[in-house]
Amino acid sequence: MKKILQITLGIVTSVGGFLEIGSVTTAAQAGAAFGYQLLWAILLGTICLIFLVEMSGRLSAVSKHTIVAAMRERFGFPFFFIVLVGMTLVAFLVLIAELGGIGFSLQLLTGIGFPWWAIPVSLLVWLLMWKGTFGLIENGASLLGLVTISFVVAAIKLHPDWSGVAAGLAPTLPQSDKAHYGFIAVSIMGASISPYLMYFYSSGAIEDKWDESYVSVNRFIAGFGMTFGGFLSMAVLVVAAMAFQPRGVRVDSFDQSALLMTTALPRWGFYLFAISMLFACFGAALEVSLAIAYFFAQGFGWSWGEDLEPSKDARFAFVYTIIILLAAIPLVFGIDPLKVTIMSMALTAATLPLAIIPFLFLMNDPVYMSKHRNGWISNSVVAIIIVISFVLAVISIPLQIIGG
Amino acid sequence: MRLERLLVFPILFCLGCKPPSPAEQMDSMLSWLATARMTGEGWLRHTTPDTYSRQTLEMSGEKIDQIAADLLRSPPSGVDTATLDSLFTRSRVRVNAMARLIAAKNAPDFGGQLDSLGADEKRVKQLADSIEHKQ
Repeated sequence: MKKILQITLGIVTSVGGFLEIGSVTTAAQAGAAFGYQLLWAILLGTICLIFLVEMSGRLSAVSKHTIVAAMRERFGFPFFFIVLVGMTLVAFLVLIAELGGIGFSLQLLTGIGFPWWAIPVSLLVWLLMWKGTFGLIENGASLLGLVTISFVVAAIKLHPDWSGVAAGLAPTLPQSDKAHYGFIAVSIMGASISPYLMYFYSSGAIEDKWDESYVSVNRFIAGFGMTFGGFLSMAVLVVAAMAFQPRGVRVDSFDQSALLMTTALPRWGFYLFAISMLFACFGAALEVSLAIAYFFAQGFGWSWGEDLEPSKDARFAFVYTIIILLAAIPLVFGIDPLKVTIMSMALTAATLPLAIIPFLFLMNDPVYMSKHRNGWISNSVVAIIIVISFVLAVISIPLQIIGG
Repeated sequence: MRLERLLVFPILFCLGCKPPSPAEQMDSMLSWLATARMTGEGWLRHTTPDTYSRQTLEMSGEKIDQIAADLLRSPPSGVDTATLDSLFTRSRVRVNAMARLIAAKNAPDFGGQLDSLGADEKRVKQLADSIEHKQ
């Protein structure tokens, strides 16, 4: 009974916590610019995420190691340090984007510009990290995030052409604007397959004291939770394709994205969008901050745990304190969160091999995984998707950056 | 093989350095005109708040101004620059007027400006199609 409850809660929180600023923005841009044509990128990203999240939980449940701790132990400090630098940089950009997303949502609701919200929002995130428990962060924010289901309601209300939606699930090239198409595809992959999510999930499994008996629970949560979450991203794309593409609106600013649901839900669409973004970004900001602190603490062998008093894991608390403070600074100066979001998602895709390749080695190591090692299907699916996103990133990121 | 690898980045660089084409700039112009119209419609239906609507219209006005300046600096061939200039100026003035009318809560005049903006948008769309066709 306890496990059924855990599965239900796990799935619900995975759905509520799935959307964040990156997935919403990239899906909205994709739908506005290319209609349903980029649905395949969300599908691929979601499949990959299901496999990776399942593996992250399995590794922790079986080996009692988090990914970071196992990586440090298996590959040594120099290699760990390279991954630490790459992942911290990308996760830091994601944190700026999420805090910016919270500020932007508050700007929509209050009319006060997002730079004014940077410090209060960062303080609130920090305070919750300082005072809160892992359960509060994992479940509380994600349950509030269930408001993002409104995107599905909006998509259904717009009566999309379902055969067109189905056709979008198969990859095709556009007639023109191929570099932009590739760049958005990469960004969608980056938004879907965020390595910080793996580190957060694997650390969470240790915080929740999972053991081998949780292998099947983990499979259910990863499979159903991420699948339903992927539907939410697809719903955002469909809404953008229906509301923005016919009118020629492209999402070049957050202010434009606020109009996303006003066609489908005229009365509440604007406010539902703002509240959805607020909760989604808030949950993600907490998760990213925790993931960065976990990375440092687990890699350097410090004591860590969100359920511990900050005095018991002072260096862990110090890392998230500093990282949240630093992330607020560019927002105070008015850096465009949309640009940071898009760039961080593309860079996430480009750095995926750095995070995933050592992880795949760990998942095949009998010392850590004993009889729960990866099968050939898991290895192949993840390897293929990583190669696709890396190749797309190498081709389209230079084009997009230099071309502005 | 090594030479090919060396050539990839300069080629990407040259392709990437290419400024946005007139057709792409016209698409951006249309996007901001459509944004202004969607925002205006939302405000008239009382589905978007005053502050957001005003700020978004002001932003649309700035973007229209910026894109028009870029486009007129190197205008597309075969299109009368004066026509483009007057159309863009008219649209920008309308969008800015709409932002002011929100502050004054003057819905009837706002509706009139919104209808005219729709007509401007159609004209820009025709021009954008003809530019794309010529390319």
